[in-house]
Amino acid sequence: MPDQLIPTSAVLGAWVATGLTLFIYSFLYKDNPLFKLGEHLYVGVSIGYSVVLVWYTVFFRLLWEPLMKDIAAHPAALGTYEPVIPALLGLLILTQFFPRLSWLSRIAFAFIVGFGSGVAIPRTVSSYILKQIEDTVTPLITMSANGLSMGVDLASPQSGINTIILLIGVVSVLFYFFFSVEHTGPGMVTARTGIYFLMIAFGAAFGYTVMSRMSLLIGRFRDLITFAGAEYGYATPVLLLVTVLSLAAWELATRRKTGGE
Amino acid sequence: MKGSLKDLARRMIAIDRRIIFLLIACATLLPLLNPFGLPIKVSPEVKAVYDYMEALPERSVFLLSFDFDPSSKPELEPQAVALLRHAFRKNLRVIVMTHWITGTGLADGVVSQVAAETGKTRGKDYVFLGWAPGGYALIISMGQDLYKAFPSDYSKTPTLGMPVLEGVRNLRDVNYMVSLAAGGAGIEMWYVFGKDKYRFEMAGGSTGVIAPGLYPFLRSGQINGLIGGLQGAAEYETLIGRKGMAVAGMDAQSATHFVIIILVVLCNVFYFVLRGDKGKKA
Amino acid sequence: MIFLKRQLPLAITFVMGVAFALQYYIPHPVSEEAITKVSDWMKIISGFALVLGIASVFHVHAVKIRRQAPGWGYSGVLFAAIVTTMAVGFWSGGESKADGGQTAFGWLYDYTMVPLQGTMFSILAFFIASAAYRAFRARSPEASVLLVSAVVVMMGRVPLGQTLLPGMQISIGQFIFKIPGAWDITQWLMNVLNSAVRRAILIGVSMGSVGLSLKIILGKERSYLGGGKDQ
Repeated sequence: MPDQLIPTSAVLGAWVATGLTLFIYSFLYKDNPLFKLGEHLYVGVSIGYSVVLVWYTVFFRLLWEPLMKDIAAHPAALGTYEPVIPALLGLLILTQFFPRLSWLSRIAFAFIVGFGSGVAIPRTVSSYILKQIEDTVTPLITMSANGLSMGVDLASPQSGINTIILLIGVVSVLFYFFFSVEHTGPGMVTARTGIYFLMIAFGAAFGYTVMSRMSLLIGRFRDLITFAGAEYGYATPVLLLVTVLSLAAWELATRRKTGGE
Repeated sequence: MKGSLKDLARRMIAIDRRIIFLLIACATLLPLLNPFGLPIKVSPEVKAVYDYMEALPERSVFLLSFDFDPSSKPELEPQAVALLRHAFRKNLRVIVMTHWITGTGLADGVVSQVAAETGKTRGKDYVFLGWAPGGYALIISMGQDLYKAFPSDYSKTPTLGMPVLEGVRNLRDVNYMVSLAAGGAGIEMWYVFGKDKYRFEMAGGSTGVIAPGLYPFLRSGQINGLIGGLQGAAEYETLIGRKGMAVAGMDAQSATHFVIIILVVLCNVFYFVLRGDKGKKA
Repeated sequence: MIFLKRQLPLAITFVMGVAFALQYYIPHPVSEEAITKVSDWMKIISGFALVLGIASVFHVHAVKIRRQAPGWGYSGVLFAAIVTTMAVGFWSGGESKADGGQTAFGWLYDYTMVPLQGTMFSILAFFIASAAYRAFRARSPEASVLLVSAVVVMMGRVPLGQTLLPGMQISIGQFIFKIPGAWDITQWLMNVLNSAVRRAILIGVSMGSVGLSLKIILGKERSYLGGGKDQ
C-alpha cells in the first residue's frame, strides 16, 4: 500500500501520459493513426502553451503592468510612455500578415538585426576567437627552481605534450577547411591530419549522442514503470494491450482494404 | 560452411529493424527493473563544479538557468535536482530562471519540489523568475538591471524588495551561475553575453549531444566545470552523497551502450565477411 | 517611397549595428543606459516575433483544413489542441499552481506536454541503434578511426566500461607504466583531440559570423529584409 494516496487528477494524468507515450512509440511498428494523433496533439499543446505564456509574460508582465504603474505614478512624464516604442516596433512585425503593409516590418527587423549584429561582433571576437587562440598558444616550457621543464603527462590536459597535440589539431583542421589553397604536398599532409582529427571528434560526438538519446529513453521507461503500479491502476500494461490490439485491428483493416483494391 | 556463413551474414545485415528496437527496449527495461549498481567514477570537470559550490559562503547568490524543455528532461532534471539540493544544503540564495518557454512549468516544478523537501521558503531562500523572451537581450538586460529584466517573479510577486534578492542589483552580484542547456540558447550565450562583460563565475550542465562542443570553453577556463549528460548528473549525485534518478539510470545506460557496441561490431564482422565475397566477384 | 522601403531600414541597421558594436568599448553611463533600454525593448519585440511564428503554423494548418488536403483531420486535432490549451491556460490565469495545488493548465503541461515532448525525442534512441547497425561500417581508414573513437567513448562514459577496462599500473624495475583504462582514454580524447577539432570549428564559424554581421551592418547582406524587387 502506498504511504500517500495518489490524487485522482494524478491517476488520470498518469493514464493520459502513458497513453500518449505509447501512441508515439507505436511509430516503431510503423507510421499509423495513433502516432499521427499524438504528433499533432504535441504540436497543438506546445503552441497553445506558448501563446498563453507569451500573453501573460510579454503583454502583461513586461508591457501592460509596468506601463499602467508608471502612468498612475507619473502621467505627464515622457519617459513613462517609453514602453510604447517597442510595442509599436512589435506591431510593425505583425504587418507581415498584410501584403500591402508588409514593407513596414522591415523597419522592425532592421532594428532587431542591427542591434543583434552590433552586440555580437565584439563579444564573438572576444569569447570565441581571442580567448580560444589564447588557450591554444600556451607556453610549452616552464621555468622553475629546478630549471626548464615540459610536461609529458598525457593524463593532464594542460601538459606540454597535450598542448602540442592540441595545436597540431587546431591548425590542421583549420587548414582542412581553407579551400582557397590547393591541398597538395605539405598541405595535403596537413589536411589529411585534419581529417583524422575530425573523424575522432565525430566519433566522440556519436558516442555522446548515443549516450544522450539512451538517457531520454531511460527517462520515459522509468515513468512507464512507475505508472505500471497498482496505485496508478496498472495504466501501462492495460494501455499497452489496448495499443497493441488497436494496431493489430488497424493493420488488419489496412490489409483488407489493400487486398480488396 | 563458407556459403552458410555468407548467407547468415546476408540475413543478419538485412534483419528487420524492429528486432533491434526490441533489443534496445529490453536493454533499457531490464536493468531498470533489476539494477546491478556499478560504481560511478567522478570526472575532474564535474568535481570542479562541486568544489566551487562547496567553497561558496552561506547566503552567496547562486543563479541556475533551466535552458531546456521537457525533451531533455531525463538528462538535465537530475542535474538540476542535484545542484539545487547542494545549493540548499549550503544555504545559498538561489535564483532560478529559464530561457526556454516550454521549460517554464518544468523548472517551476523542480525548484518547488526540491525546496519543499529541504524546507526552503520562496522569496526568502529562493526565487523562480520564470521565463522572459529575448535570449541574449535578456542576459544583457539582467546584466544591467535585474529588476527591469524581471519586474516580478513567476508567481507575479514584485522582485524589488524580495529578501532573497537583497543586495543583488544585476549579474555582477551573482557569485556563481550554472546554465543547464540543451542547445543554442544556453551555456555559450550566457558566457558571450553574460560572463564576458559582467564577470561572474559560471559552469555548464548539458545534454550529451552538445557536451563535446563545450570542451574548448572548459579548457580555456571560460566555464569552470561541465556536467555532461546523465553520467555527469550521476557523478554529481555521488559527490553530494544523495543518489537519485541519474545513478538509478546508469545501469540501463551501460547495458544500452554495450548492446550498441555489440551491434556495431557484428555489423562490421558481417560486412567484412560479405566484402570478401564482393571482391572476388569483381 | 523607395527611401522608406529600402534606404531607411538599411540606415537603421547601420546605425544600430555601429552604435552597439562600439558600445562594448565605451563604459560611460550614457552608453550603459542605452544598452539597458534597448535590450529591454528587444525582450518585448521578441514576444511579438513569437506571435509571428505561432501564426505561421496556424496559417499552414488552416489552409490544409480549408482545402481538405490529405490528413486534414489531424490538422483539426491540432487546432482543437491549441484552442483547448489556450482556453485552459487563460481560465487558469496562466498559472501552473494556485492555492498550493496544481491548476488545470499545470495538469495539461505535466501530463500531456511533458510526456509527448519527452517521448518524441526519446524515440530517436531506437533509430540511432538501427542506423548504427546498418551504416556504421569501417569502409575506409577514416571510417575506421571514427568507429574506434565512437566505441571508445561509448565504453568510457558508462560504469560498465569503466569497470571492465579500469586500466592498470605495471612496475618494471624502477619504471612505473600506467596503462590507461577506458575512462582515461575517453577523458584524454575529449579534453585534447575533441577540443582541438571543436576549437578549430568554433574559430572558423565565429570568423564567418563576424564577417556576416559586418556585411549586414554595411548593407551588403539584405536577406533579412524579406526579398522583393525593391530590396
